[in-house]
Amino acid sequence: MFNWFTPKRETWLFRVNPALKFIVFFAFLIITLVNQSLPFALSQAILYGILFYGFSGYSMKKLLLLSIPLVISFLSTGLTMLLFGKGETVLWQWGLFKISEESIRHALLLGSKSLSFGFVGFTFILTIQPVLFFYAMMQQFRLPSKYAYSFIAAFRLIPAVTEELQIRRNALKVRNIQFSKGVKGLYERLQSYTVPLFAQSIRRAQRIAVAMEAKQYQMGAARTYYYPTRYNRIDVVFVLIMIGSLTLAFLLSVYQ
Amino acid sequence: MNNISVTDLRLKFPGEDALVFKDLSFSVQPGEKVLMLGPSGCGKSTLLQVLSGIIPNSIELPMKATSIQLPDSWGFVFQDPDTQFCMTYVDEELAFVLENLHVPREKMASLIAEVLKRVDLHLKDVHTPINEMSQGMKQRLALASVLLLEPNVLFLDEPSALLDPEGTQQIWTSIKEATADKTVIIVEHKIDLIADWVDRVVLFNDHGVILADGSPADIFANFQEELKRYGIWYPGVWEEYKTSDGFQLMMLNRQAVSSQEKIHIEDFHGYRGQVEKISAKHATVQAGDWITIVGENGSGKSTLLLSLMQLLRTNGVYEVNGVAIGWKKKKRQLPKGLSLVFQNPELQFVTNSITEELTVSLHGMPKADADMYAKELMRLFNLPDSVSRHPYQLSTGQKRRLSVATALTPSTDILLLDEPTFGQDARNTFAILEKLEQLRTKGMTILMVTHDTEIVENFATAVWNVVDGVVQTDSGVGGAMNVQLVHT
Repeated sequence: MFNWFTPKRETWLFRVNPALKFIVFFAFLIITLVNQSLPFALSQAILYGILFYGFSGYSMKKLLLLSIPLVISFLSTGLTMLLFGKGETVLWQWGLFKISEESIRHALLLGSKSLSFGFVGFTFILTIQPVLFFYAMMQQFRLPSKYAYSFIAAFRLIPAVTEELQIRRNALKVRNIQFSKGVKGLYERLQSYTVPLFAQSIRRAQRIAVAMEAKQYQMGAARTYYYPTRYNRIDVVFVLIMIGSLTLAFLLSVYQ
Repeated sequence: MNNISVTDLRLKFPGEDALVFKDLSFSVQPGEKVLMLGPSGCGKSTLLQVLSGIIPNSIELPMKATSIQLPDSWGFVFQDPDTQFCMTYVDEELAFVLENLHVPREKMASLIAEVLKRVDLHLKDVHTPINEMSQGMKQRLALASVLLLEPNVLFLDEPSALLDPEGTQQIWTSIKEATADKTVIIVEHKIDLIADWVDRVVLFNDHGVILADGSPADIFANFQEELKRYGIWYPGVWEEYKTSDGFQLMMLNRQAVSSQEKIHIEDFHGYRGQVEKISAKHATVQAGDWITIVGENGSGKSTLLLSLMQLLRTNGVYEVNGVAIGWKKKKRQLPKGLSLVFQNPELQFVTNSITEELTVSLHGMPKADADMYAKELMRLFNLPDSVSRHPYQLSTGQKRRLSVATALTPSTDILLLDEPTFGQDARNTFAILEKLEQLRTKGMTILMVTHDTEIVENFATAVWNVVDGVVQTDSGVGGAMNVQLVHT
């Protein structure tokens, strides 16, 4: 499953300090969130789209596959706004549905914001190695090591849980378990999967925690780092490019 | 190095009335190799955790002792190879220890290479995913990470319990080489490889009291009765079992049950996704056969069971009880008469009580009959007749027996088992094998994956050897030849 997340080529985005990338992307998404201007929102979506399709280093096939949820969220947020949004200048009305100029603007605004979030989120996930990200968060931003290692250890457990899910599915088939129909059946199904999987996972997590402490891990103690992460020239380039292109996007939206 | 000791230890698990230890005193001299034996649940592992300080530093339990002397430096290897690592790659995991010790980055690579050599782990690349290693290799990695702590004292809590014979051999070889000058305290049931290596054996009884403490020769000679009762795999346990009256009687005139053909396979293939994982040219199984499936780790033994159970896509000729089985994607029903027992019992339990567990698959049987049926199974498999007891609250041996029992519906006549005796103590192993033999004489057909050559030699009526995804039914491998079924 994790092999799927191997890029075709490692672009310059991969070399940016992952923690810095996180902070910059996070800050930019806050701008996206509070912005109310439609042209700016559109140009931001285009900017992040260029980042996603052009520089994530994955094959177009995979990127298009990942685009499916983005299109769905664009359409669902956009359509709701389009058909039910408030507005004075009504263009078309049928029953509950009412399309106005304002609702079109809002639909596009919201849609491009959700696109921006999707593009940036995926670009981030596709261009970092989780372990390095947490190492950088510990080193550059003083993230307490206990949080970093809980994420790293949890990440390691994902394959085990998916395997157990598969075994559980087979075991239920072999035991010839028949679920009720409708909502009750859904509840039964949920329960028959979650209880054993949780029990296994909790036990495993606790054992790993004890094993970590047995290896002299101490919360809050000073530590050295196997993967040193620091700032490089590429980080300056990254920040400049990001700020530059956002400014450009802003200017284009103002003087269109 | 100082010695480790505890005096008048009292300890109890929350929610339980009885104390695990009542005024237990115990000490170990520097450099000593000590093996602790006792029935499961007697508190040996708990004592290891107390002596290392894991209790109460990492696991908080109510305990007190008049005096306790912990080691200055220690390392701990646990039982389960899959729950000892927090990182994804070999080098990262070892580096985690070095980071904890505040070792400078520049020194890490050479220390990692050196310690891997000490435990005989020769990897092409230290940046190897831990998940791709065998269980035996993982345990050696656990040992390596512990050796980086430069411990004076090593605690080993059943490090080979979940390993196959090859892995067991490897881990003990590495341990012996790496710990010559260290104090080693071991809890283990499978002891034939270390019985003559340790200096001292400590035997506990059911109540956490030390029954005997002496040289291995002394303990193995004078406390055989207890060792047997506690299910310990002491040297020669199989020899003794084989000469026991019970076993002799069971094997006397062991008969083929019938010549009815239960499974017929011709040019059979099983797939995971698009990839062929297992194939068999020709095989037949008759009623009352006990076939053991052997082969290296990852050769496809479990895949074979999943294919026979139709949980994977298959093609080729496959008949169960004379009925042709074809793989249909949407098909809900699995082949009639077959049942499969997976390795992890807990993942197979679906209800909140033992009785329900045994009756839930009996669709269409009147409740009174179903309860009678469950009672009979509980008696056959020595399961506690308790209405309220949750299956998760059973002991490991009971869980395993229950998981086998749940597969036995009245329509089951072919039982597929994935290492049913794996990780079990001697008593449980013999109990499970005897139950299976009992079922076999009544006409049950058994196909069982196992690594245990003693089981293959003493219980199998035929051996299938799986090599790189190919089933060899006519191989002379295994010792089944000396088990003669009398065809009547």
